[in-house]
Amino acid sequence: MSRRILVVDDSPTLVKFVSYSLKSSGYEVVGACDGMDALEKVSHLESDIDLVVTDLNMPNIDGYELIATLRQNDRFAEVPIIILSSEEGDEDKQKGEKVGATSYLVKPFKSSVLLAEVARLLD
Amino acid sequence: MMDKSIRVDDSAKNIHAELRHLADSISQIIKGIRVAQEPIADSRNKVPQATEQLERVTQQTATATHRVLDMVEAITSREGEIETQMKELRRVLPSTYFRNNSRVKRIVERICVSASANQNDAYAIMDALQFQDITSQQVDHAISLLEQVENRLKDVMVGLQLDVGPENDVKRKERAYDPNANFSSNSSEQSEVDELLNNLTKEKQNN
Repeated sequence: MSRRILVVDDSPTLVKFVSYSLKSSGYEVVGACDGMDALEKVSHLESDIDLVVTDLNMPNIDGYELIATLRQNDRFAEVPIIILSSEEGDEDKQKGEKVGATSYLVKPFKSSVLLAEVARLLD
Repeated sequence: MMDKSIRVDDSAKNIHAELRHLADSISQIIKGIRVAQEPIADSRNKVPQATEQLERVTQQTATATHRVLDMVEAITSREGEIETQMKELRRVLPSTYFRNNSRVKRIVERICVSASANQNDAYAIMDALQFQDITSQQVDHAISLLEQVENRLKDVMVGLQLDVGPENDVKRKERAYDPNANFSSNSSEQSEVDELLNNLTKEKQNN
């Protein structure tokens, strides 16, 4: 059974790009346009999410709040979470780590880097 | 007695002159404000036009980028199919076939190499298409700055008691962007990919 990955970004281009990269490597993808949409979608999913890839700067619920909320849920306590952000500063990385992110990739990134990171966290 | 009346008369004249000067200055200021009213109002009214124009740029680049992404996806899929079919060809032909037909073997190998190179190039195109996300964040930042200018101009007009006109009822889009988003400097280097892949291989070996 293929692993299921939640991709959250307010840029439809990024969701499409990341989704295609992941699907071409055999992963199943659930896309969401912001943190609120992501929480709504996972609440309706019957099966589990194996990994989350999320942006930071998003309207409604941003990436930090999304991660913190997911970590409070037992279903997501151990799920790897990768932040994709154009914020390069250490402060953002530390803040991401503090709320519970597992990994941080700076945009723009190579799809091969993302796939290698996903494989490292899932395998 | 005579001197005092002359002095009072002079003072009154001076005050009168000062008041006239003050009145002239106020009149000039009012004229200046009237002259400034139109360009300030005009500048303020042009900001929404500029933001709309920028939003159209973002929408159009997004549409074009998605079309390119769809085409690249189709290309990679077809190239993958070519590789699969070549493998199938190798499987169905007798093992001696390629030994006896070295020219055909070379052709099949070249097709496989080209299909693989095309796929790699297609992935590189997809990676490069992230420019659209980065530039849309930069455009959103520019729109946000323009909206600040619009609000400041409104404050100036209110301060000068000028007619600010009807309020724009259009609900503004909530923007979330990184003002420092940059396409050129952040791109992950191949060395990072290699490092990640090496780590992955090591971890697998250790397990």
